[in-house]
Amino acid sequence: MARYAMVIDLDKCVGCQACSVACSEEWEVPIGQARTHIRSTGIVGKFPKLVSTFHVGQCNHCDHPPCVMPCPTGATYQAENGIVKVDQSLCIGCGYCMEACPYDARYINARTNKVDKCDFCSARLERGEQPACVNTCTAHAKYFGSLEDPQSFVFSAVYEKHARRLENSNAAVGPNVYYLGKPGHLDLVSATFGPRAPRLLRPAEVWRRMLKPLVLAAVGVTFLGQAVAFFYQLRTGEKDFEE
Amino acid sequence: MGEKLTRRDFVKLSSVAGVALGAGATSAQAIQNPPGWRGSERVERIATNCEMCFWRCGAVAEVSDGKLVRVAGNPDHPLTKGRLCARGNAGPELLYDPDRLKYPQVRIGQRGEGKFQRVSWDQALDLFAQRLKDIKQKYGPESVGFFPHGVASGFFSTLMKAYGTPNSAEPAFAQCRGPREVGYALTFGQGLNSPEPVDLEEAKLIILIGSHIGENVFTSQVTAFAEGLSRGAKLIVVDPRFSTAAAKADYWLPIRPGTDTALLLAWINVLISECIYDREYIEKYAHGFTDLAAHVREFTPEWAEPITEISAQVIRQTAQAMGDAKPAVALHPGRHVTWYGNDTQRARAMAILTALTGSWGRKGGIFLPTPIKTGKFALPPFPKSSRKRVDGAGTRYPLASEEQGLTNGLIDATLSGKPYPIKAWVVYGQNVLQSIPQREKTLKAIEQLEFLAVVDIMPMNQVNYADLVLPEATYLERYDMPAVVASAKQPFIAIRQPAVEPMYESKPGWWIAKQMAKRLGLEAYFPWDTPEQHLATLIKPLGIDAATLRVQGAIAFPGRPYIEDRLPEDGPLFPTESGKIELYSPTLKELGFDPMPRFTPVAEVPDGYFRLIYGRSPVHSFARTQNNARLYSLMSENEVWLNTDAARGFGLREAQRVVLENSDGVKSLPVLIRLTEGIRPDCAFMVHGFGHESPKLRRAYHRGASDTELMTQVQVDPIMGGTGMRVNFVRVLKEGA
Repeated sequence: MARYAMVIDLDKCVGCQACSVACSEEWEVPIGQARTHIRSTGIVGKFPKLVSTFHVGQCNHCDHPPCVMPCPTGATYQAENGIVKVDQSLCIGCGYCMEACPYDARYINARTNKVDKCDFCSARLERGEQPACVNTCTAHAKYFGSLEDPQSFVFSAVYEKHARRLENSNAAVGPNVYYLGKPGHLDLVSATFGPRAPRLLRPAEVWRRMLKPLVLAAVGVTFLGQAVAFFYQLRTGEKDFEE
Repeated sequence: MGEKLTRRDFVKLSSVAGVALGAGATSAQAIQNPPGWRGSERVERIATNCEMCFWRCGAVAEVSDGKLVRVAGNPDHPLTKGRLCARGNAGPELLYDPDRLKYPQVRIGQRGEGKFQRVSWDQALDLFAQRLKDIKQKYGPESVGFFPHGVASGFFSTLMKAYGTPNSAEPAFAQCRGPREVGYALTFGQGLNSPEPVDLEEAKLIILIGSHIGENVFTSQVTAFAEGLSRGAKLIVVDPRFSTAAAKADYWLPIRPGTDTALLLAWINVLISECIYDREYIEKYAHGFTDLAAHVREFTPEWAEPITEISAQVIRQTAQAMGDAKPAVALHPGRHVTWYGNDTQRARAMAILTALTGSWGRKGGIFLPTPIKTGKFALPPFPKSSRKRVDGAGTRYPLASEEQGLTNGLIDATLSGKPYPIKAWVVYGQNVLQSIPQREKTLKAIEQLEFLAVVDIMPMNQVNYADLVLPEATYLERYDMPAVVASAKQPFIAIRQPAVEPMYESKPGWWIAKQMAKRLGLEAYFPWDTPEQHLATLIKPLGIDAATLRVQGAIAFPGRPYIEDRLPEDGPLFPTESGKIELYSPTLKELGFDPMPRFTPVAEVPDGYFRLIYGRSPVHSFARTQNNARLYSLMSENEVWLNTDAARGFGLREAQRVVLENSDGVKSLPVLIRLTEGIRPDCAFMVHGFGHESPKLRRAYHRGASDTELMTQVQVDPIMGGTGMRVNFVRVLKEGA
């Protein structure tokens, strides 16, 4: 069984967004949302001694994915090949997994109202194709392969070139997206876009996010019903009632 | 590797047969989710040429049930090999943009008001033909100005030539690559063309002067650039702004704008005085070296330092890097290079530097085009006009391209009526209001016209001024002239073919041109009935099969990119008058210009102002894509980059919305500012193409500000007639001021 990983060479990446758009088009991600984000670190330093680089962020398919446990329905799971997936038929869009993800790689799809994220283009892999982002990368900066395949670029990047994982004291959960680049650039990316601590929702959060909207909706509907009844009466007149 | 081959075969198989799998199926997995399917949808894959910009990358359109579901890269395309940029991937959002022009329209309101009446194609074409006939009768055919852009305009160019007007002009020359084409042709005997043949992937040293590869994305160029860097090429970036490329550079030279020629002369000085140029190459191929050596003696790095604000030491170090890397020095000639009106001479200096490093025709430098001969149509001769072109190309500007013309010259002539009146314009796919500076002039010229016809896809602002609007089909819905590209390492022919039926009542350019020809009695210039017949004639001498071309999208031929590969049939290596590289240009001397480049200072930035500079974003093409839903979501407006300290000096804050006002008092739309260390204090930078004025572009309307609008000043290049546009100064007004 393969153990999939992605390597992004920041020395090559120009932040052109081709990967992000290819991904969005491939997976019909609603306009304005994305599974893959390209962000600049911004220009750091004092003119003219400056540093700047990009970060390509997506689901990291972590070795120990903190998003799996909080999922109340079992929709989020880790497949044998390491890919973390969301079973859309089970997802209820509660967002627990989003809070747990230290990379903020998950979002609620505005069309389906379910959680969506990168799945390393599993459907394409099944067809023997590369992930859409890797396939389109104008700079050939994205590599995909199995860490169990010594012939693959990702194997040599990870085990020989020591490509770096984006981990810190907030979260060290074994992300499988690795980065190559100048140490200074990698430090900057790590400082700017390093993981946050996973958050587990407390009951209060459950109330705020799930029950409260429900209650509000119920109240709203009741109110609306009242209003309709009121105006209906106004229109038909009070005569009938008096009689 | 094996996996890759299989995948390519799959693409071919599925598109050839239109039936799922042949013998190619390898694993049980592949059968569960076979190629040619997206989930439970059967998809057909049609190879075509992208037109989200003009680079002609290979795309594959995936169509299911007559609907376009996806545009991806075409792995069989020799230039881009399956890669496609953000804009290319966002093709479906152009096709399905609800704001598209949907049917022919005739203006009923005032010019610019945007009130139109829908008419049928027959009515529209009859009207178009009648107006052209009337104008021909009253003023002669030369009084129609033609403004083309894009691959499809080839058909329309034939139409307008046959009609009898020599007055055709596109911004690709006078507002873009003109100085470079002329400067390099003066030196090497030939220009560079597009895509420019820069051997970035083999280079040991890459030099970018103002070019911002990465923000300016042409897929194959980015691929080659990144490949070159990853193979260890050193990078010198000369740019007043800390661009994406500058962030990857070994040397970033934040030069004082307008002084590039001084830097180039100093580099030439060091290469010669330190004797680190390619002596053998120069002795063998160049003319005028002694003159050049004498000419640049005074232009030392110490001379250049106060002019350019680049230290003499850095100039020497970088020159040494060129000496070390030669001949694998890829000095990028730039693309949009109409900056200060002295641009041909700057391009000459770049060409001379390229010669001194021995890089023209060498691996890692500038490689040579390999022409491919396509079939010709037996056309009647085009009518010869007794009246010369009005724009000055070939006359006042003898070195300007008569093929591409001078848009600014054509507009000036429309305004002045001299040397003879221009009474009508036909605008085909060109955005005359967003790509040509001095917009007020263009609008005034339009006011004077008796007739303005615009063929376009989107309701750009010029459409609102047109008397007749014809909606063109997008590249995903039409055939075009195939791309015949010589300036690639493997020359190739690539086709554009429809993936889906044209939406609404839009029609392909070739159809419109042919219909017009019929109405104007010019059918003899279109001796083919269908695009298939047109293609068959074109590819006849190439010995290739049309079906293969349509399946693969492109066919490549062996190239001869380096000097040692050349065959006698390729003609002279340096088709100049002397047959050598002309370091000293007798042609320029004869015309009364400096035969060797000289630095001429540009106007200083006035107090309280910034020099307006502009460039590209990787997610937008010119002013064409701002209304594309996907691309809009990535970048909905532009920002003005200002140096943090300089901006604070004016009391400005980060992310404040401001208005820019140029030295002629023209104000921009409100625009956000971005305070950054990544720009010199004397410049303001913005991405070109925003600030659309047409309310019919419902997303892009009034988002961001237009750099073009602020270009009320131009400096015309006396050699090639184009407009230097970096000569405008802006000050920042807090919004509402």
